[in-house]
Amino acid sequence: MAIRSDQGIVLRSFPFGEADRVVVILSPNHGKLRTVAKGIRKTKSRFGGRLEPFTHVDLVLYEGRNLDTITQVSVIETFSHLRDDLDQVIAAGTMVEAVDAVASEGEPSLRLFLLLQRGLRALDQGETSSDLVTAFLLKLAEVIGLAPALDFCASCGRQAQTLRFGFAAGGAVCDNCPTEGAVRLRPGLTAYLSVLAEADLADLPQPDPRFSGEAMGIARRFVEYHLERRLSSLAVLDE
Amino acid sequence: MFEGPVQRLIDELSRLPGIGRKSAQRLAFHLLNVEQADARRLAQAIMDMRDQVKTCARCFNVTGSEECSICRDLRRDPAMVCVVERAQDIVVVEKTQEFRGRYHVLGGALSPIGGVGPGQLHFAELRERIGNEGIEELIVATNPTVEGDATAMYVAREMKPLGVRVTRLASGLPVGGDLDYADELTLGRALVGRQEM
Ligand SMILES: [Zn+2]
Ligand SMILES: [Zn+2]
Repeated sequence: MAIRSDQGIVLRSFPFGEADRVVVILSPNHGKLRTVAKGIRKTKSRFGGRLEPFTHVDLVLYEGRNLDTITQVSVIETFSHLRDDLDQVIAAGTMVEAVDAVASEGEPSLRLFLLLQRGLRALDQGETSSDLVTAFLLKLAEVIGLAPALDFCASCGRQAQTLRFGFAAGGAVCDNCPTEGAVRLRPGLTAYLSVLAEADLADLPQPDPRFSGEAMGIARRFVEYHLERRLSSLAVLDE
Repeated sequence: MFEGPVQRLIDELSRLPGIGRKSAQRLAFHLLNVEQADARRLAQAIMDMRDQVKTCARCFNVTGSEECSICRDLRRDPAMVCVVERAQDIVVVEKTQEFRGRYHVLGGALSPIGGVGPGQLHFAELRERIGNEGIEELIVATNPTVEGDATAMYVAREMKPLGVRVTRLASGLPVGGDLDYADELTLGRALVGRQEM
């Protein structure tokens, strides 16, 4: 058993035993960490709010057989302002949920970590673009090697006009390629998605209300299709 | 492991929160050695609780009758309603002896990570109560967690347009604690929520 230090962003946590929580953290060095914070559910716990979701923390861990125990924690960045607005929290929840779904334990995840950090930072600064989550999901797909084809046909590879999107095919498809289950797109949508996939999260172009909703729908369904699970955070306010 | 009924009880006990395999074994063997009547009383108490306990038709507190004793108490102020996540939280607020209104149990909290939506909680019933009971203020006493925060914001967003005041429990430094040990999030909130003296 050894002591080691690490850092990461808290993805989520759940109650464990009487007063403990299992805290799931994304470390740039070691991927997903599953750790235990002992006694954290007591009001006077020395952890306080330091292990709340979205917090970027420095950790000292005591390595255990199954789970590492957190012995010390200090905050690098709280991202606490994003918690003042319901829509921002849901956007942050979606980012964290998607990252949780793609990260694996023991695998260095620097790009994924930096993406999450940039996404949370953009939310924390407020006045967020309605395209932020869409851009985040497109970039996430790219980081895990699943970037959707947007500037060419996912089926034949030609740079033709693409007016349909095939989730199984892996992106936009041209009219010459018959693709089962492809959905029709508004003209210009693939170009709109392509700009978002390339843009800086901190400096997204002005959202276009004609495209925003549909772009989100496509990015969300694409990620959900390849993760083989729903992003339930996004569904919170659907009803 | 063990034979038939003993193992069955161990399995059942170890599904309870906070009870591991070892404790379950200890409890099972303890129950094996107590008087027949004692074991029967325990079993009966569990069954009675499940059969007889109801949720209050008004506030979703646990009760033995149609409405809970707090809702039936005429000395309590119906204009003030404290909104909590779980029925256990009522006991905690009651112990302070600082609150003389009624309650509303949501049955959980909105979860922006993992997705518990408003439809799974008692928001519609709360909206109805505001219309029917002359409620003037909702005091939101959800946990100071991401989920509790999201729930409080949702209550404010949805219920304020109905003409009620919505307040939330202040969050800040724990009484008897040391400033040195306060974390950034807690201290930040204590600062925002500071009070004039
Ligand atoms: Zn094609
Ligand atoms: Zn009641």
